[in-house]
Amino acid sequence: MFDWLANPNRFKRITNKLEPFLIVISIILIASGLYFGLFDSPKDYQQGDAVRIMYVHVPSAWLASFLFLSLAVSCIFYLAWKHPFADIISNTIAPIGAVFSVLTLVTGSLWGKPMWGTWWVWDARLTSMLVLFFFYLGYIILSNAFERKIDGSKSASVLALIGLINLPIIKFSVDWWHTLHQPSSILKFDGPSIDEQMLLPLILMFFGFSIFSLYLIIVNVKTKLIQKKCEALILKSNLKEFL
Amino acid sequence: MFNLENLTIQRGSRIILSDFKSVIETGSLTIIKGGNGSGKSTLLRAIAGFTPLEKGEIKNNNKNIISYKEEWSQKLIFVDTKNGLSNNLTIIENLKSWASIKGWPTSEENLSKALKSLDLVKYANLFISECSEGLKKRAALARLYFSFISDIDFWILDEPTNELDKPSQQLFEKLILNFLNQQGTVIIASHDLNILEKKYNVIDLDLLKEQSIL
Amino acid sequence: MKLTHLSWTYMFIAHIKRDFLTNSRSLIDLISIIGFMLLIIILFPIGLGPDQEKMSIVSNAIIWIGLILAILPSLDKILQKDFENGWLDQIATTGIPLEIVLLSKGISYWLMVLIPLILSSPLFVILLSIELKYLPWLIVSMSIGGLAISLIGLIGSALILGAKRGNILLPILIIPLMIPILIFGVGINEAVKIGESPFGNLFLLIALALIYLIISPFISALLVRIAIGR
Repeated sequence: MFDWLANPNRFKRITNKLEPFLIVISIILIASGLYFGLFDSPKDYQQGDAVRIMYVHVPSAWLASFLFLSLAVSCIFYLAWKHPFADIISNTIAPIGAVFSVLTLVTGSLWGKPMWGTWWVWDARLTSMLVLFFFYLGYIILSNAFERKIDGSKSASVLALIGLINLPIIKFSVDWWHTLHQPSSILKFDGPSIDEQMLLPLILMFFGFSIFSLYLIIVNVKTKLIQKKCEALILKSNLKEFL
Repeated sequence: MFNLENLTIQRGSRIILSDFKSVIETGSLTIIKGGNGSGKSTLLRAIAGFTPLEKGEIKNNNKNIISYKEEWSQKLIFVDTKNGLSNNLTIIENLKSWASIKGWPTSEENLSKALKSLDLVKYANLFISECSEGLKKRAALARLYFSFISDIDFWILDEPTNELDKPSQQLFEKLILNFLNQQGTVIIASHDLNILEKKYNVIDLDLLKEQSIL
Repeated sequence: MKLTHLSWTYMFIAHIKRDFLTNSRSLIDLISIIGFMLLIIILFPIGLGPDQEKMSIVSNAIIWIGLILAILPSLDKILQKDFENGWLDQIATTGIPLEIVLLSKGISYWLMVLIPLILSSPLFVILLSIELKYLPWLIVSMSIGGLAISLIGLIGSALILGAKRGNILLPILIIPLMIPILIFGVGINEAVKIGESPFGNLFLLIALALIYLIISPFISALLVRIAIGR
């Protein structure tokens, strides 16, 4: 299956058809999600309109975690079958995932300001998200830290694997730390139980974001394939001159 | 018998060997020739089992060296341009720690014989950080002596003669001849062919490359 | 000679012996690590002001953070030198699994760097005005945490083999992994201080050390194979 899709020409053929659908669907989903989120969902009885930040914050957080999982899976593919296509995919996922984790952190901080009067609180989820961001950062830095780019790919893939094993441990320890230090009066981030009207825009936004990032991944992978082809062509023409 | 079957080896994104076939007889000397950057070292590292192959197989007596990695590792001595010596240890300490991680007897007698084989006895207690490049190389090559007291079948050597002076080159040649006599197989990468007056096979990487381009 | 599990133990010890010898020749490294930790600890009172009460709130955290930071510059020592001088190639051509060799590397780093550093903690304890009766717990918890730190350090130093400016990027890669150790470690000492049972945190710290004892040899062997295969 993977080999089948990894053929650059086939990949291009399929994705060329897919692309317009993806962008249209993601715009529709995000727009309707925003509408329901901003206008057609209840205010929070304590937080007022500030709660609406949640409709960007929570889907970004889900997606940042989901993308890290996909990154790790594609890295495992690369380590096991050494297929360069898997490496291209992981290289593409990492910055996108990093952006979503930053988005989570920024919206979390914006949310914190009206709630607690401070831009940053050491909430367990935000702290875990910060750590996740550092794993994305580490992956990007390590995969670019070698003389030849390709040398870094494998080590960075192992780092993603390490992240996959360690993130649950870190998440657990941060939760543990938080319950240890938390005075009981402080509100939890997810606030009161989510009612149905809030769930709908959350899900719409999540799928909108996911499909949009799938679109971004496809465009990026295509760009990288073209780049590779260019490099190969340049190498070939240099070689001809040389002879 | 040692078979290289349809080897394709990459270094980075560059292909060094493609679909290369060769047979190396037991008890023979093979020299891998080629200019700088031709991939001699990478081929040697592939034979030693370090560099993964893109395609093909390397077989020692019909046993794939990757599947029988531990067995293969125990049969060979690998010395390359990085000698594998610690600056913080003396020549004899380096030799001793190397022999002990290989699992070989490290009696005084064996160690001093090994040192003698490359005329290192008077330098035995010199720290590697104080040694010249030539001495370091000799300290690394002194390991080869252990082939005569344990069952080593292969030497894989990368540019072993570069820093050696004439007398130690002769000592080194004597070691090779002794090893070949006990049916050992030697694979050397070198750009300097005049090391031995003995029949040897040549794998010329530059020649292979020209053929593959034309 | 056919290798058996018995000779694995023998060679495991041979590796530790060699590391012990090389480390004993560069004792100055150890002294500078301890000095570095001392300086980190001195910086806190200077930054916070000489208020004893303020210090007593954060002292346990400082000592753990100091431990984690102080060893960072020396982590590349675990494998980087042996990689550069070709010793890892020699290790890869012995009949024992790389995993066992790398475990010995992690253990010897623990024994030769972390343990001496932890044993000098009476010095730190005095400077931070922690009561001496808490010292045994501190040493026990730091020794266990130190094992986990060494094994994470082993992974870290294997990650940067062959990278440009590896020692600069090493902290970014491994400090996130140290977070659980910091949490459970400080948790033990804080619990002891307020008279609660430290065993919850202690068991978690032990579990963490065991997890790394199992996974880090495999992960670092994977990374070393990648590095010597380039």
